[in-house]
Amino acid sequence: MAFSATLTVDSGIAKITMSGQLDASMTPVFQREIENAQTQQAKRLVLLMSDLDYIASAGLRALVFAKQKMGRAVDIYVVGAQQQVLDTIQMTGFDRSVITIETYDAEVIENI
Amino acid sequence: MKPSTVPATLDSLGTIADYVMAAAASAGLDRRASYRLRLAVDEIATNIIVHGYANAGHQGVLELRADIDDRTLTIAIDDTGVTCDPRQAPIPDINLPLDQRPIGGLGMYLAMCNVDEFVYEHVGDRNRTIFKMYLPPTALEEEKT
Repeated sequence: MAFSATLTVDSGIAKITMSGQLDASMTPVFQREIENAQTQQAKRLVLLMSDLDYIASAGLRALVFAKQKMGRAVDIYVVGAQQQVLDTIQMTGFDRSVITIETYDAEVIENI
Repeated sequence: MKPSTVPATLDSLGTIADYVMAAAASAGLDRRASYRLRLAVDEIATNIIVHGYANAGHQGVLELRADIDDRTLTIAIDDTGVTCDPRQAPIPDINLPLDQRPIGGLGMYLAMCNVDEFVYEHVGDRNRTIFKMYLPPTALEEEKT
């Protein structure tokens, strides 16, 4: 059950590239990268999800932490999520608090 | 399918997912329905492991069983952890923005929303959670040929 999350921060934009299966056993890996993004005072959090095959509620809870810790002003972008992952995000109403887009749009995301 | 018994630890979630996905493939569920079933079982298994066993200081196992008939795929999880009826969990307010959300409650909600039937029983010292997915007509037709 492999999951990986890789963080890069550039010009205040934190990008986490996610891949594999994010169940409760793997959530600490994701949580750690979110906390790293927070300590680097990112102004935007971009989650690149095209290779993420599965997300459980434990992974979504990490987003609640992210929003509460990083503050309301930090926009969270969900980029390229697969349909089933997107279904879960929509079913829980998270799509009203994060910005879901199909592909990475530098003009929108990097325009701080 | 042959029943399977796994330790009640988060490391078992991968094995549980494999078991559910194999049952879904045997039953002919499509990709979306398979994902929904896996999500429901994963959420409840996580809850049993964390709240039924670990947080209560108990150790134990989860017993998985899959039954397929001509209409339904049924997955059952038996455990002897602390009793927790998922149907009694408060329904989360999915309209709240993330920064105002309480932590928790989503797993039970997702589990119950994603299967066609959700049953919880407590018999003796055992909890039994049952998930049912109705099989699509195409799967039935393929089985008959």
